[in-house]
Amino acid sequence: MTRPDTSRGHNVSLDFLADRARFVRLETLRLSRIAGAGHYSSTFSAAELFAALYYAHLRINPAEPRWPDRDRFILSKGHAAIGLYPVLADLGFYDMKLLENYTRLGSPFGDHPDMKKIPGVDFSSGSLGHGLSVGVGMALSGRVEKRDFRVYCMLGDGELNEGQVWEAAMAAGHFKLQGLVAIVDRNQLCIDGNTEQVMSVEPIGDRFASFGWAVQRIDGHDLEAVMAALEGLKPAGEGKPQLIIADTIKGRGVKRMELSLNWHVGNLVGEDYDDAWNEIMAGLQPRVEA
Amino acid sequence: MSTSAPRALPGITIAKSAPIWRQGTPLKMKAYGQALVALAQRNPDVVCLGADLTGPTETDMFRDRIPERFFNFGVAEANVMCAASGMAREGDIPFVNTFSVFATRRSLDQVALQIAYPNVNVKLVGFMPGLTSPGGPTHQAIDDVAIMRALPNMIVVEPADGDQVADLVEAIAEHRGPVYMRIKRGELPLCIPAGTPRARLGKLQPITSGADGTILASGVMVALALEAADDLRVAGLDVGVVNAHTVKPLDRDGVLAIARTGKPLLVAENHSVIGGLGAAVAEVISEAGIALPFGRLGVRDVFSEGGTAQYLFQKYGLSTAAIRAAFEGLLPH
Repeated sequence: MTRPDTSRGHNVSLDFLADRARFVRLETLRLSRIAGAGHYSSTFSAAELFAALYYAHLRINPAEPRWPDRDRFILSKGHAAIGLYPVLADLGFYDMKLLENYTRLGSPFGDHPDMKKIPGVDFSSGSLGHGLSVGVGMALSGRVEKRDFRVYCMLGDGELNEGQVWEAAMAAGHFKLQGLVAIVDRNQLCIDGNTEQVMSVEPIGDRFASFGWAVQRIDGHDLEAVMAALEGLKPAGEGKPQLIIADTIKGRGVKRMELSLNWHVGNLVGEDYDDAWNEIMAGLQPRVEA
Repeated sequence: MSTSAPRALPGITIAKSAPIWRQGTPLKMKAYGQALVALAQRNPDVVCLGADLTGPTETDMFRDRIPERFFNFGVAEANVMCAASGMAREGDIPFVNTFSVFATRRSLDQVALQIAYPNVNVKLVGFMPGLTSPGGPTHQAIDDVAIMRALPNMIVVEPADGDQVADLVEAIAEHRGPVYMRIKRGELPLCIPAGTPRARLGKLQPITSGADGTILASGVMVALALEAADDLRVAGLDVGVVNAHTVKPLDRDGVLAIARTGKPLLVAENHSVIGGLGAAVAEVISEAGIALPFGRLGVRDVFSEGGTAQYLFQKYGLSTAAIRAAFEGLLPH
């Protein structure tokens, strides 16, 4: 599919975005099967975020991946690239067929994204904690060059344990980088367990606010809320970097993966694959808390 | 001792340590600071980044003259490396200025993964290499060349002479890709005679030639090697001195041409003998299957301590006398 134009913000229906979030989850299943393993649950938590950003919000032009005035997107939680690759293909950055060799020898598409090989990937990532700093640099360059693009950076919540994130948060506040938008996929789990038990990250909002950021907090699976948050971002000139904390559920969309520690990396086979596929096709179901 | 300004204690002045070179050696002050400003005035893409070491990295001149392209990130090296990477991705040419230890050991993951791996156009400038820092092991980079040499895409250079700094600054700005330049802060000797062909990135720079052998040196060791060669000449030996301002990519043909003379070759560097220039030269020679009297002079796999450079160079065997003795040790008995 193609997006109607290259401006920021598009009037697309929430049903359409829900369908694209489903596409992200289904493609994650498909590509994981090609690779023999995949980061399912960290990608499922970000599916609505990917859909809203790429299909309804970001100012991008797939025909010109390096367009100087495009919005930048840094996937600092690079292990969720498996969900980003199909979106970029779907938007026309490259042929979807290229993904059939996902992670195979010679493929440009690895477990973590490489900006030198993949059109539409604004920065290589994979080592947690670096992305927001890169975003600070890009936003500073935008200011030096007097361009009004924004830099969006998606971080994991476990990633907030990295000290460098707070160096970047401090610098963004100091330089008043209003063009910088951080999105935390607050999916509650890092590899070893719940973040609040392993190394607590809360109160995320208060912490960023104290570093000079404007903060919104939303349900990251509620597309209406996600869109409202993105549309509520202040235009350049307000003088603060902006944070969206998206409360999500790691593994959302496949019940056995939701808030499970077993699916950070996994490989669904046989009936399990088909069951997960059918579950995703049925759409997000209300969660019954255990 | 390592901070940007002497502490303001009334009635106390901090003694300036004597240079490591012989008295009377002409010196040039703050050559890098001047060269960077001159470059940035010609090239609007050059931006200057730092981490709370503006004075010690000679970038106060840049800050005062071109403030709109000067960014101080505070004491946060990991952050500044990645921010530089982001700026380079946007087309700027960031020069990141800090001490050698912080540009390499402290921020290695950031330098490796956000600068070397994506091959972005960032220039890292590390000050106070080796034992030119009085600050002890925390501030003495004796492994920075070894670390940076191991990173794919990374170029490693070190000027030997005050007037060479501007040439290398120009050359690394023209090279599209990451570069690490280590440089002594403050004064540098003017030791390369007028008329010597100028430095070219990736090429050895012969300063003198000698029928009895060669000392190949980098950085501050070049001036000391020239002193040692003078002393050896008095003793009847004709020894040439070659400046290896580019440690990586090492000038393989240049090294092999020296090695094929079969005469003694001593490599002198202000760095550990492990993994630096001497090791790089040994790799080239041994892979070519050439046998010759060969020695490495540098820090012998120990951590040093705080002290003046003059004292430390004596103690750890980097002095003029040590170079001379090491070369004589390579001669047939």
